[in-house]
Amino acid sequence: MRTFGRILGALAGFLLFVGTAGPIAWVVVSSIKPGYMIPASPWSLPTQPAWGNFAKAWGTTGIGSGFVNSLVASLATLAILLPIGAMAAYVLSKYRFRGHGLVFGGFMGGMMFPHLLVIVPLFMLLRDLKGVDTLWGLILVYVAYSLPFTVFVLGGFFDSVPDELIEASMMDGCTHASTFWRVMLPLVKPGLAVVGIFAGIGLWNEYALAKVLLTSQAGFTLPVGLANLTMTQQYEADWGALFAALVIVMAPVILVYALFRDRVQQAMTAGALKG
Amino acid sequence: MRRKGQGPFVLGFLAPAGLLYLVFVLWPLVQSLHLSTFQWSGLSPVKKFVGADNFQRLAADPVFWTSVRNTLILIVVCGVALIAGGVGLGHVVNEETRWARAIRSIYLYPQAVSLVVVAIIWYFLLSPQIGLVNNLLRAVGLGSWERAWLGEPQTALGGVAAAFVWYALGFYSLLFASGLKSLPAEVNEAAELDGSVRLHRFWHVTWPMLWPIKRVAVVYTVVNVVNTFALVIVMTRGGDPDRATETMLTYLYEQGFEVSRFGYATSIAVANFLVVMAISLAVLFWFRRDPTAARA
Repeated sequence: MRTFGRILGALAGFLLFVGTAGPIAWVVVSSIKPGYMIPASPWSLPTQPAWGNFAKAWGTTGIGSGFVNSLVASLATLAILLPIGAMAAYVLSKYRFRGHGLVFGGFMGGMMFPHLLVIVPLFMLLRDLKGVDTLWGLILVYVAYSLPFTVFVLGGFFDSVPDELIEASMMDGCTHASTFWRVMLPLVKPGLAVVGIFAGIGLWNEYALAKVLLTSQAGFTLPVGLANLTMTQQYEADWGALFAALVIVMAPVILVYALFRDRVQQAMTAGALKG
Repeated sequence: MRRKGQGPFVLGFLAPAGLLYLVFVLWPLVQSLHLSTFQWSGLSPVKKFVGADNFQRLAADPVFWTSVRNTLILIVVCGVALIAGGVGLGHVVNEETRWARAIRSIYLYPQAVSLVVVAIIWYFLLSPQIGLVNNLLRAVGLGSWERAWLGEPQTALGGVAAAFVWYALGFYSLLFASGLKSLPAEVNEAAELDGSVRLHRFWHVTWPMLWPIKRVAVVYTVVNVVNTFALVIVMTRGGDPDRATETMLTYLYEQGFEVSRFGYATSIAVANFLVVMAISLAVLFWFRRDPTAARA
């Protein structure tokens, strides 16, 4: 009975493992097969790796420019988001003032509704600002919609820093602002890392907002370009390039995730378990 | 705490984040309610006030109701699958066997890759052209089950649901795994007991004690099912075949950005917002009390 249970457990484990890793591995293997072999014999292993798929994906399919756009959008968003998010989180964590509850509640409310619901007025607003189909427009929108999570998680980190450090720093002649920059912000570096990695992955992968707000192919981010490539069935001509493109999109997040697994998991559960 | 001379500092530090948030999140949210009472193509400067007309048309629009139905089906089917699967897999990843360690090293990858990638992978898995799923069925002698999964109205929504569950299961497992770890040690010791006692213990002790996690999981499902937007757009071209996979958000997108009925699209958004709120509040009400405390 016990061995039977153990075999059953191992079988379930095997199926789970294959079910999760299998599809991803299949994409990676297919990306180095000659294009015509992908629809012809989808299960087979490549006889000799067709690395040329990657060069083709980068050049002709527009994945190269998408990669650059995605990188710029993600990094620029983080560069704005982290400082201003930390400033707001700090004030909301360590200071009490009139309207505190309202401001905090306003930020938290942003986590409770699907962002795509405001897409029509958001598009109109951005059009009036001449920000449709521009990276800076997308970046400002990304910053705004990443703020609730950032303020929430960083607020938690500031909460755990003792107030006495502020008093001591101000006693030493620091102002409110220099206390923040010199004393408090360095103490929450782990929090900045958690938010930066987690938000960075989300921004790199973001599709819905970018699909609406970017309208010309040269400005597409990777997910939009990739979806476009699939939907127009351009891969019919070159399957290898499409699968190489899929790997190009996945590789950075898989790498970041493998390196910082604990931090990502911490961020994933932060919202859920404390809330 | 209040500190001397904090006023300008507080204001100055809140201003950058506050202004961006106000302009790009809160203002469009308010505008949504306003816009939904107009008939407007978005291109012309002419906005015609039509009051509740959009909502009356919505109520009589069969495609809208199809999209509501499909969205609710996705929430219920994916919610049940993710919570059941999450509890099960949550137990697995907390163990210290070889398979548990192997699964722990990969189970969150689907969540980390872009939904667009997930959609494309599943599109090919289910397509008649490459069709790994069809191949697999033939290999195990179920060749008669073969079909164009995403091309037939009976199975297309199921295909989208499968892709979503594959994508999100790792996160729910992580959620339940941390929940299980936080339970008192005596509960986890149940693992030492044999089969039937273990199962009994699970149903009467562990499962009720997981209520706060279940509550979070359900609310997350409601908010996250919007993630199926990317899946539906890529896997079934935003609602094919014959609206069988149309969801509220894809219909919103179609009305707003494909046929330029901005007012109408916004009324879909408002309706969608109400549905999300209603379900979330119902869930919070349903799980409002600790069932284990009530028993004590």
